[in-house]
Amino acid sequence: MAVTVLIPAPLRRFTNEQASVQVEAGTVSEALAKLDAQFPGIRDRICEPDGRLRRFVSVFVNGRDVRSLEGLDTPLREGDEVGIIPAMAGGR
Amino acid sequence: MIRLPRPHYEAIVAHAQREAPRECCGLLAGRGDLVERVYQIANRADQAADLFAERDLMPRVGADPALLPTERYFMDPEELFRALRDIEAQGLEHIANYHSHPATPARPSRTDIEFAAYWPHVYHLICSLADPERPDLRAFRIVDGQVTEVPIVVEDTSGGRVANL
Repeated sequence: MAVTVLIPAPLRRFTNEQASVQVEAGTVSEALAKLDAQFPGIRDRICEPDGRLRRFVSVFVNGRDVRSLEGLDTPLREGDEVGIIPAMAGGR
Repeated sequence: MIRLPRPHYEAIVAHAQREAPRECCGLLAGRGDLVERVYQIANRADQAADLFAERDLMPRVGADPALLPTERYFMDPEELFRALRDIEAQGLEHIANYHSHPATPARPSRTDIEFAAYWPHVYHLICSLADPERPDLRAFRIVDGQVTEVPIVVEDTSGGRVANL
């Protein structure tokens, strides 16, 4: 399944400033593995060493947060868009 | 320097006042140093307790998740994602994030500085309502934990400078 991974500005230093990358993947987890194969180190910014999604990162499939879908096991279809963004948080 | 047309300045202050005592949050988009669009984003700090707890940034009021948004903000991820997509679709740049400090000064807190680490390339604006009569909006660059204030120039709609905050 050819899918597009949208790279957020803070992670573009891993992708030679590319804003989107095409990969072949059947799940979100696989898409992140393929991304990491092309751009080593990027997955460590998104996932914990044990593979869980980092708490301050959100991953989206077609704009929906995978935490409300099947997490990193969320299946992908041809043409899907996988988005990634670090949290914007703070306060007081 | 950030050039902020007066209607956008007023929109940020009004957002802060409307949400108080909760913190408000959002994004600013534009071209170069000129802000052209304000995106208000929902504060979902009440759903992000674990995020603050794992960094030891949980305020005392955090024992009650409903009160967490009075001292923390966490931008709704789906809204944030849609806003960032829209900014790119409009051919604009993501220039800044903003949030309010309803009861404290317009200075980045330890929490602000920690989370800014993921967004070093944008400005961080803070609108303080500590003096309700005089909202105080300030902008900062936060890189590697170092905070530098950046001047905000509020411009009238014709583009002339009317106030240097």
